[in-house]
Amino acid sequence: MRAIESWVTGPLQTFVNESAARLTLLMTGSGQVIAQHGFARSLDVMSAAALGAGIMASSQEIAHLIGWPEFQVLVHQGSRHSHFLALVDVPAGRWIGLVVFGRETKLGVVRYFFDRMIDELATAAPRTPPPRKVLAADFETELHRSLRTLFGR
Amino acid sequence: MSLVNFTTREITCKIVYYGPGRSGKTSNLHYIYGRVPESRRGRMVSLATQTDRTLFFDFLPLDLGVISGFTTRFQLYTVPGQAYYNSTRKLVLQGTDGVVFVADSQARRQDDNIESLQNLQHNLLQQGVDIRQFPVVMQYNKQDLPQDLILTTDEMDDMLNFRGFRSFGADALRGIGVFESLKAASEQVLKRLAAGSSVA
Repeated sequence: MRAIESWVTGPLQTFVNESAARLTLLMTGSGQVIAQHGFARSLDVMSAAALGAGIMASSQEIAHLIGWPEFQVLVHQGSRHSHFLALVDVPAGRWIGLVVFGRETKLGVVRYFFDRMIDELATAAPRTPPPRKVLAADFETELHRSLRTLFGR
Repeated sequence: MSLVNFTTREITCKIVYYGPGRSGKTSNLHYIYGRVPESRRGRMVSLATQTDRTLFFDFLPLDLGVISGFTTRFQLYTVPGQAYYNSTRKLVLQGTDGVVFVADSQARRQDDNIESLQNLQHNLLQQGVDIRQFPVVMQYNKQDLPQDLILTTDEMDDMLNFRGFRSFGADALRGIGVFESLKAASEQVLKRLAAGSSVA
């Protein structure tokens, strides 16, 4: 399990334990990963997050087109695995949860513990903003070196 | 908006390749994908039509390595260029940290370039982003075509770049200008982050 913010870890761990979900991602609306459980390669996680955010965003647009406020939850049912996408409102903003689960659990169980996780996240969220200074002033030399390595020139 | 993990010291930024249909946005990502070592890139995801036109977006995650002690990753997206896909363009543009505007240098495509640039400005503004204070790089693609069909980079600047963004001539299929455009966009995005104005 990995999490951008340490306060997310507890509620996410509880959700994973209780729901028996195989994979779980929490991401921002633009597809940036907040926390993950069960994804082996971090770069594949990014692809999953980008696609999950895309599904959720396009579904919200369809909801607006047909005059509904929004879809809180989307479920795609497969023969062996299913996935569950849901909006997550926390003090830091609106996130998206992506959960992949198999036959060992049920949609109702996943949804019940997901809702409980949202409540726990709202309680655990810090009230102070994060520090704002990130990169040193001379980061450009390292950036140029990294890009040269990346492109081989 | 950039995500910064202070515990594991990681930064993730999002750059969107924008521009009119068939200007070469997906070609930029294909070139980058082909040149970057496998260990430094993820799988390229393309949501395209059966004729390979971008339907929703292309997506390529890149690992830039360690910068100022932070493991730095960039997520590159393209948008569908055709006018009627504006709703999906707006979705892809959400939370972006910078834009590479890929313009088509052919003289007959200038109206499309202008319309797409206006569309970018409008869509950013709808998200509360002022393009004048946002990292944007102009790339004038297809400079390899015969001179009588295209505008020079100076002429393209006159036509499109009245805001004075950094600009590059390009031939995305052969990689000319691709690296330079990404480098310039990366610099601007990270400079903005260093100034502390876009931390999540």
